[in-house]
Amino acid sequence: MTVTPAAVEEEAPAEKKLDFSFPPGETELGIIAGIISAVVVTLAALPAVIKGAALIFAILWGMDSVRKTSKYGLGTGVPSIGVLAIGYGVIGTLMGLALAEYGRAGQFYPGVLVGVLVMGGIGLISGIMSNHEKLVAMKIPHLERAMMELGMTGTLIILLECSIVTGSLNFGAVLEDVIETGVIALMFIFSAFAIFHPYNACLGPDERRERTRMVAVEIGGLICILLGFAQIVIGTSPYGILDGVSLVVFGAVIWIVFFRMFIRACFKEAYATVGTGLIKTLG
Amino acid sequence: MEPTLMILILVLVVIGGLLASLGAHLLPVGGAPAAMGTATGIATGTVQIMLGAVMTGLFTASSVATLTNNLALVALSGAIGATIMISVVMLMANILYAFGCGVVPVSGRVPVDPITKEPQTPYKTPQTDGHGVPNVVFVSGMLGGFSGGLGGALMYYALLNYAHFSPNTAGIGAMSIFVPNAIIAAYNIRGTIEGFHDPKFKRLPFSLATSFVVSLLCGIVVVIAASVLGGVA
Repeated sequence: MTVTPAAVEEEAPAEKKLDFSFPPGETELGIIAGIISAVVVTLAALPAVIKGAALIFAILWGMDSVRKTSKYGLGTGVPSIGVLAIGYGVIGTLMGLALAEYGRAGQFYPGVLVGVLVMGGIGLISGIMSNHEKLVAMKIPHLERAMMELGMTGTLIILLECSIVTGSLNFGAVLEDVIETGVIALMFIFSAFAIFHPYNACLGPDERRERTRMVAVEIGGLICILLGFAQIVIGTSPYGILDGVSLVVFGAVIWIVFFRMFIRACFKEAYATVGTGLIKTLG
Repeated sequence: MEPTLMILILVLVVIGGLLASLGAHLLPVGGAPAAMGTATGIATGTVQIMLGAVMTGLFTASSVATLTNNLALVALSGAIGATIMISVVMLMANILYAFGCGVVPVSGRVPVDPITKEPQTPYKTPQTDGHGVPNVVFVSGMLGGFSGGLGGALMYYALLNYAHFSPNTAGIGAMSIFVPNAIIAAYNIRGTIEGFHDPKFKRLPFSLATSFVVSLLCGIVVVIAASVLGGVA
């Protein structure tokens, strides 16, 4: 059982301010990331790099939802809610892919968004029931909204990953390239890690949203590298091998940049931590 | 798709979800305190224990499903797989606690073991909440593994034979419906539980109600997907 501290102070002192401050608030990030990833997921013909960038936005959104729920203390540890999001995501993906043929025009698949919306609805209902006083009674503020966002973001993440690996959203192609090859198992667990690991690793009294987000982006880069290799091996992209290679390079650059940024931020802020000395009775 | 098949899928998925919820309540979940030997149960969260058990169950169930179409055989093989997995984990936990930490398996919630009538309180280290996996908790954990594995295998069978998904799709689908149910049950027990003798077990109906709704909705999603795809999945 992980005990997290109560509400974490949102505003850092001025001297701790880092250059990484995009995008502003939780709601704004949700809207921006939701729109970007929803638009990109419908356009299956886009190059993998753009889908990878949208995937990182979706991961950031999911991490933010996990963070705002978990800081009140779930009682079962942070990983549980990340795995829940991806569980919903896989079901939503099944539905979205099944409905992908409806309203399809070339490589434009607006039908998959139905899966995203339906999982948002199921997430909302499970959030209401989990927070209801006569049922599970978790008493976490805004759990309903967070679970709704997690259902949507989980579905968007899995759909984007399927789209990256197969280069289309045709159910038959996804079945052959993602599910039958077993890449879906990698996607399941690595996407869950991407959502829950940043807050799970950074939680504590000095947790700061901007620093935690760097970890999310960094893991997004790692997932891009993995998916790039999967795409090169499966070889289904309409742009040839260059698509997968560019995704691997993109992921590596993102990973190196944000890992350095995160470590620097840790050093900087650890330097500013005030030592409290030993406990009086021992000293 | 025929309405009978749709209803069969829904019923099996809902039963599977309810069994998942029941299983999560029966397992000995110790969490972080158990990792330090200061609470009864296995030293990790519900999600990890339940996911490990049900994945083993799905492996055995899917192996048996390649040989037969009998619902009872597939479901029971899943249940047995999960039970064996959870029993091995509990046994190894007990060996580690007894010979590694030097604590005896003892329940922290009841003064006397309800099954064997052995006294518990005198063997409990003061200021702790029990250690290891004592007899009653072991039995409860086996029942939990059985229930969880049965639930997972029922969902797998429904997705495989009634929704006509491929084995891989059915497996990942069953696991994905199982996971939210087990996690909502974990939220209901607030992280740690010993088994059916724990006072927290009385909260089971709340979790069952939530699981019913969640797995019904997930079942509807699966039915829609299956009827649209019409057997190509």
